[in-house]
Amino acid sequence: MSRAAVRLLIRYLLLAGGVILLNFLIPRLLPGDPLHVGAAEGLDSGLPLPATAQAQLRAYYHLDAPLAGQLGAYLGDLARGDLGWSLAANAPVGQLLLDRLPWTLGLLLTALLIAAATGTALGLLAGWAPAGPRDRVLVALTAALAALPEFLIAIGLLLVFAITLRWFPLLGGRTLFVEDRTDLLGRGRSALDIAWHLTLPAAALVLAGTAGFVLIARDVTVGIRQAPWLIVARAKGLSERQIAVRHALPNLALPLLTYFGLRLGAVLGGALVVERVFHVPGLGLLGYEAIRARDYPVLQALFLLSSLGVLLANCGVELLYLRLARRQPALHE
Amino acid sequence: MSRNLTRRQFLQGAAGLAGAAVLSGCGATGPTPTAIGPTAPPAGPRPVGLLRFAWWTDVGPPTPFQISTTGPGGAVLLSLIFDTLTWKNAQGIIPWLASSWEAAPDGTSYTFHLVEGVHWQDGQPLTADDVKFSFDYYAHHLYRWMPTPMVAAAEVLGPQQVRVRLTRPYAAFLEDIAGTVPLIPRHVWEAVADPAKYQGADATIGSGPFRFVSHDEAAGAYRLVADPVCWRGRPTVAEWRQFTVPPESRVEIVRQGGADVSLSSDASVRDLLAGDPRLRVFETAPLSIVRLVVNPTRPPLDRKEVRQAILYALDRQRIAETVTRGPAIVGSAGVVPPETPWYNPTLKQYPYDPARARALLGGQPLILTLLADASAREPDLLRPMLAAVGITLNVQTVDAATRAQLLTEGTFQLALTTHIGVGGDPDYLRRWYAGEEMNTFAQGSIFHNATYAALGAQQAATLDPTQRRALVFRMQEILAEELPTIVLYHRRFYWVYDPAVFTPAPTAGGLMNGIPFPDNKLTLFGA
Repeated sequence: MSRAAVRLLIRYLLLAGGVILLNFLIPRLLPGDPLHVGAAEGLDSGLPLPATAQAQLRAYYHLDAPLAGQLGAYLGDLARGDLGWSLAANAPVGQLLLDRLPWTLGLLLTALLIAAATGTALGLLAGWAPAGPRDRVLVALTAALAALPEFLIAIGLLLVFAITLRWFPLLGGRTLFVEDRTDLLGRGRSALDIAWHLTLPAAALVLAGTAGFVLIARDVTVGIRQAPWLIVARAKGLSERQIAVRHALPNLALPLLTYFGLRLGAVLGGALVVERVFHVPGLGLLGYEAIRARDYPVLQALFLLSSLGVLLANCGVELLYLRLARRQPALHE
Repeated sequence: MSRNLTRRQFLQGAAGLAGAAVLSGCGATGPTPTAIGPTAPPAGPRPVGLLRFAWWTDVGPPTPFQISTTGPGGAVLLSLIFDTLTWKNAQGIIPWLASSWEAAPDGTSYTFHLVEGVHWQDGQPLTADDVKFSFDYYAHHLYRWMPTPMVAAAEVLGPQQVRVRLTRPYAAFLEDIAGTVPLIPRHVWEAVADPAKYQGADATIGSGPFRFVSHDEAAGAYRLVADPVCWRGRPTVAEWRQFTVPPESRVEIVRQGGADVSLSSDASVRDLLAGDPRLRVFETAPLSIVRLVVNPTRPPLDRKEVRQAILYALDRQRIAETVTRGPAIVGSAGVVPPETPWYNPTLKQYPYDPARARALLGGQPLILTLLADASAREPDLLRPMLAAVGITLNVQTVDAATRAQLLTEGTFQLALTTHIGVGGDPDYLRRWYAGEEMNTFAQGSIFHNATYAALGAQQAATLDPTQRRALVFRMQEILAEELPTIVLYHRRFYWVYDPAVFTPAPTAGGLMNGIPFPDNKLTLFGA
């Protein structure tokens, strides 16, 4: 491993320590009280918790301790891999996260990969003939999509495809109350059922996420399309498709990788809005519920996971950068 | 002909069904319950294989110590698995696990006679010992929906007889405690030191009509199956499924056949479903209240004239119609909603009268701050109405948890709140202002009035309904004059349901302590 890579890893380890500290502090800066969870959500009513019970719970969760004491307890638990006990869900936080993680990873990674592939291809197409009709249409469409908030796209899809056409289910990640079958046929059906349920949420995320890739790929393509090595490639008699795919596309890698890394880092934070609208039981929905309930242990675990996800993705991208930067001249050939 | 079934129509029809269930005994071998309910049972509901209930949110593990109290859904779900000593039908309190009872003349104790032959869902007999154990256990491990601080002790008088002694006379005991607190089996819980974390399979054993089967926390989904040997008879619904649906989809999922029952607080759902050949809408009594909590210790709201001027300045009819998109039920200044037994119809009225509001303010411009949820639509309607009389309303948008915190601390002028719990026993009129209210949405109410406080204490200890009614009416008169809270309007809930599967049942004052839900478990028992 190069010295630069070691320095990079040390920097990220220090950052991770800072993140852990911030993750401890941020939920405690929120106004409100976790023992007032009854005020947080629900039809109309609240949590009847008398002072004695509140005192018991405060002691149990170290909420009556000074901040330093709470931090010590938190770090000790973290070192043992204990993420705590959810105040609202009455379950171990680690278990809650493990239950929700596959939904978020499945949904967001799929959507991110589709958005990246589609966006890059469209951006390359648009940038290859700038100011032409194809470019204008694609740029206008993607700019419009980029301007639309995720929830609007999600509700629009819900309205058209789930309510009006009824092609897809209204909500959820799978059909509820169906016995899990372990045979091949059962697993296949289960996978299809999940894919059917996640189509609209994934479509919302793809539509909302493609624009960034399109615009970056398009701008970089416009910048390099008259580069000398591409002129040479043309002079060699290569077709435009060959030039675009073999010679231009690799040069989009660095900026697209940066953007992909940023988006990848956000995956572990879940897609709060889309998961909420479609009631996909992922980390985003868990976070939404935890914020409303002031569920500190869950919030801390989610922030930690999300922050470490960003750090991990950024670290990975920077390491790839180091590798790609060494190969950069070769990319032009 | 309208397809919507109103509450009144149900009061005529479904109340009979409830009565049928009450009087049937449902397989209990004990004495016939002391019938306080109706007496003319028509045919019972037809058997249903599956009922699917589209609900608001996950409510946690269904045990009395782990159920979520973020809203009343948890308490209602528990009522399907666990039983209470008393219950309610459309007319009022009825016998349940207690076939009869006697109150001591001074109101400090109640002796309950249990239905004989009742078993827990694991086959163990339910005895007076379990009742005593339940109250003893709740003294140390609270039932979070309804604590029991007024219970001094319970003593077993015989295998089926138990006396509950109170620390003070408490008129609301039969409804708010005996009718709300679930009884738990001693043989399960006596060995459990930390019930909040107990995850044994027997934690959900009750004596109610359904046995708990599974809970999917991620989907907020519950599966219950009928207990074939339930002491009241086999429930007419074989399987109960409840699952979480976001508000945008809650009515649509019933329309698409993905659920059989769901809820809306928007009256326009009646028009939406007016032409639907399959679905009906059940309107509850107006047991939800939308009101401004006033902090009368903060100038200028410490002046009664200012509080009254605010009420005169508000066109509450228009506010209610705009927000609920249905007929308005303008708020009673005495808090207790109309269509409920404790409502005082003779209170001082505050019709929309901006000129009178201006006169009361004496031309003095005022600036007030209102705490409200971001999703609340009322502030936008209040602002111009108050501006017209010279009051500038600044709206501070906060989430529900923050608002509750600020109310608890008393650091506010006005706060908009919406909550249930105003339909049942009227002791909430005392609790709100005595600092004993457990419903967080009703907390933060401030009113320093010695006469009112004395009346509150007196009504809580008065068992005679006529005398108590006079006291509660007087309390409402004081509220209407002094206005420590400004009631904007009373709100109904609209339950969308498939009548082939579900029979909604009105409950006097709402389920348990004022929950306007139609899934009273009485509907599960045929004649």
